[in-house]
Amino acid sequence: MTATYMAIDLTRQLRDVGNIMFVFLLPLLMYLVFGVSMSVASNPIGDANVGFFVMSSMAAYGAALAATSSTGTAAMEQMQGWGRQVALTPVRPVQLVLGKVGVALAVTFVALAIVHLGGLLTGARAPLGLWAATVGITLAGASMFALYGFAVAQLFKSESALGVATGVLVLMSFVGNVFMPLEGWMLEASRFTPMYGFVGLVRWPLMQGFQVMAPADPDPLWLLLANVGAWTLIFGVLAVVGVRRGRNRQ
Amino acid sequence: MTDTVGTTPAIRLTDVRKRFRTKEGDLEAVAGIDVQIGQGEIVAFLGPNGAGKTTTVDMVLGLTEPTSGTVRVLGTTPQRAVHAGRVSAVMQTGGLLRDLTVRETVTAIASLHGARHRVAEVMERTAITGLGSRKVSKCSGGEQQRLKFALALLPDPDLLILDEPTAGMDVNARREFWDTMREDADSGRTVVFATHYLEEAEQFAQRTILIAGGKIVADGTTARIQSMAVGRTVSAALPDVNGDLDATIAAIGELDGVTHVERNGPRVSAVTTDSDALAMVLLRDHGAHDLQISAPSLENAFVHLTSGATARPELQESLR
Repeated sequence: MTATYMAIDLTRQLRDVGNIMFVFLLPLLMYLVFGVSMSVASNPIGDANVGFFVMSSMAAYGAALAATSSTGTAAMEQMQGWGRQVALTPVRPVQLVLGKVGVALAVTFVALAIVHLGGLLTGARAPLGLWAATVGITLAGASMFALYGFAVAQLFKSESALGVATGVLVLMSFVGNVFMPLEGWMLEASRFTPMYGFVGLVRWPLMQGFQVMAPADPDPLWLLLANVGAWTLIFGVLAVVGVRRGRNRQ
Repeated sequence: MTDTVGTTPAIRLTDVRKRFRTKEGDLEAVAGIDVQIGQGEIVAFLGPNGAGKTTTVDMVLGLTEPTSGTVRVLGTTPQRAVHAGRVSAVMQTGGLLRDLTVRETVTAIASLHGARHRVAEVMERTAITGLGSRKVSKCSGGEQQRLKFALALLPDPDLLILDEPTAGMDVNARREFWDTMREDADSGRTVVFATHYLEEAEQFAQRTILIAGGKIVADGTTARIQSMAVGRTVSAALPDVNGDLDATIAAIGELDGVTHVERNGPRVSAVTTDSDALAMVLLRDHGAHDLQISAPSLENAFVHLTSGATARPELQESLR
């Protein structure tokens, strides 16, 4: 995979203004509605405030959404036979997937910047180092959802693939402890879902595994890493298998 | 090219079969193909839709694996030949992104081949330089095919495969495409193209392989294959005197030049190289009426050549 190819792919995705605006602005809007309007937004939580906590959670969802949407475009590429065209070049399926993930992370970075800038302007506060660590972890973790979007695109190969992928992502965010803090058996079940590990790591610099609703039961770091590692592997394998399958005629 | 030119075949298929599982049961799209194509040859793969042409092409390109048999391309596996840029193809369906421009498309694929220095030359040669900033979705069918042709030329392949390159084009676009193609043909490349237009085989290929039902039914010089398809169809209604119509049909089948006779209710139709003589016999000796003579359609030629394909070993004559 080459920088030229990725640059052309990125340009193409950014030209799809309707989709890209949705991806960039929805998480910001959700943060503004649910985060800024809360009366407790400026209450302290660790070294930061509640506004930052909510913002970083929405940004995590936003990053996952941006990464999923970006690689989800691969479904349309497959439908148009582009996979067969690329198959006639020396590029191997793994390289193709990695290239797609790279482009997705560029899109994700923009989406992240928008939410975090919105947070900064509306009262989210955290020490600089904590803030930077949160952004870095979110960006790196989003690559798992780039693989997820790609895998769904390869498996569904239709215009509805993107809708399915982003729709399921919203559900995964609800059951993954992202939008609202869970407790009890929901929290237990939540630990096995992909969004849980991701958002747990995003919050790690601030929370170190502690839960808002279950302060007595913090997550160890290995559990979060194991969650993210396992799901990354699953999505990655599905993505590469999908590319190989996509070389057959549609 | 390597020093193996002329000795290593460009394509060698040995008893290649491909079965697909479909809702209606197993489908054998390719039912045992043995063929060898030498380097520098220009070969037409001629056959009706569903004959197995595209499946065969896909196996040569390593896009799909044969169920059994072996595929060798330029002395190696299809995948290796593709990765080395020694074989490329213009594929029949899709293969372009609608929201890229023509230049972006060529540049993107060129970068994957490590051949960005060839972009300008290839676009010039396929006459798409003037379309550079146009979106693929705004290009006509002919322009899109020329773009796909440009993509196929990027790695400067030794073997170029064209799968129905002019499908869906009007007459002018088809002529333009082949004009472009012909300009490139002198470079010594091996070119294999699948088509269902007999005239494209006539004008461009020295050798034609006729494929039907997943098998090769004829393989020889294009002139020879062409002569097999020549022949007019004479049909007429015959009175069934004393119920000896079957005898009449048998008699017609014995006439010089008649290659195929068929009965359709009271009508008899026969394929012959001498339609005047047959018409005369029918009218004079058999009391035929409502006589019709029709020029050969490719459809008829296929039916003719492929009916009882296995029972016609004389058609299996190979070029060498």
